Amino acid sequence: MAFTLYSLLQAALLCVNAIAVLHEERFLKNIGWGTDQGIGGFGEEPGIKSQLMNLIRSVRTVMRVPLIIVNSIAIILLLLFG
Amino acid sequence: MHPAGAAAAGTLRQRKWPSKRRVPVSQPGMADPHQLFDDTSSAQSRGYGAQRAPGGLGYPTASASPQAAFLGDPVSNMAMAYGSSLAAQGKELVDKNIDRFIPVTKLKYYFAVDTVYVGKKLGLLFFPYLHQDWEVQYQQDTPVAPRFDVNAPDLYIPAMAFITYVLVAGLALGTQDRFSPDLLGLQASSALAWLTLEVLAILLSLYLVTVNTDLTTIDLVAFLGYKYVGMIGGVLMGLLFGKMGYYLVLGWCCVSIFVFMIRTLRLKILAEAAAEGIPVRGARNQLRMYLTMAVAAAQPLLMYWLTFHLVR
Repeated sequence: MAFTLYSLLQAALLCVNAIAVLHEERFLKNIGWGTDQGIGGFGEEPGIKSQLMNLIRSVRTVMRVPLIIVNSIAIILLLLFG
Repeated sequence: MHPAGAAAAGTLRQRKWPSKRRVPVSQPGMADPHQLFDDTSSAQSRGYGAQRAPGGLGYPTASASPQAAFLGDPVSNMAMAYGSSLAAQGKELVDKNIDRFIPVTKLKYYFAVDTVYVGKKLGLLFFPYLHQDWEVQYQQDTPVAPRFDVNAPDLYIPAMAFITYVLVAGLALGTQDRFSPDLLGLQASSALAWLTLEVLAILLSLYLVTVNTDLTTIDLVAFLGYKYVGMIGGVLMGLLFGKMGYYLVLGWCCVSIFVFMIRTLRLKILAEAAAEGIPVRGARNQLRMYLTMAVAAAQPLLMYWLTFHLVR
């Protein structure tokens, strides 16, 4: 029952890191989730798969620099305080 | 303004709110409908003004002590005036900037409640089966404040229920000799973490299913906070009557919250289908229905998970 806000923060950081390390060429293209394979024009409803691909691409673009900062802070704090 | 305000407040309290969707605005006797709270400022300022005047006049003549002479000195008068103007400027600056970080004006809407609303809403949370009309009334494209419509979401009940839940958890742990002060913080943090996780999961699913709703994040927090009321009921009954009482009351509250959430979210997520009142068989609507059911089904699960360790 030790599900605290701090562990939620840790889990969120790990998830965002996981999304950020997905490689565009080696991995996403091979499973058909590349950024140039998705957009189906201005049709009616973007399906769940294209929404997911959009989300992954946006997270990777937006969080690249903040992740560097937050990861460095986390590394320093964990080294100092265990 | 004062007699007109009192008359308007009087008519507002005695008049029953009309049951149609659009509330008529052009009535001369009614107070401003966009106003969330009753305006008592004129009465207050008049009272304070009357109190301050004799106090100010009495200052130089009240006592001959050195303190009074010091304060009556014109230089320190000027210093006091400058200090108060500085404070007023600082307050202005804070007021201007606080709206950037916390949407204060939007939050005020969710706390515009009164006792009648709270009573009716709590009754609705425990017994939603007889309520017919779940649609929120609108007035010129903005939803009506919660004190005028029992269907509107508010943040007062979830906030109070959360705090009461933490206190009742402390009480329950105390009766079993398991209490220590840091456990209160742990309970609060745990409940908040689950709430945050729920909100994020629902926002993610709403994004993936591309639902066009007017369900804001604060609305979602309000709806998800209503389950704390049932949890408090369950734990209190468990303290009074043991495990049997806990299971009975929790079961009743779980079913009520399930029905309440489905009926409320149906109008927000399945807007077009719910307007006709028939279950539509499109693929999109089916997905939205599954989403509503999943959100509603998560409530009883979380209610049980957050309270079962408190009742032994």
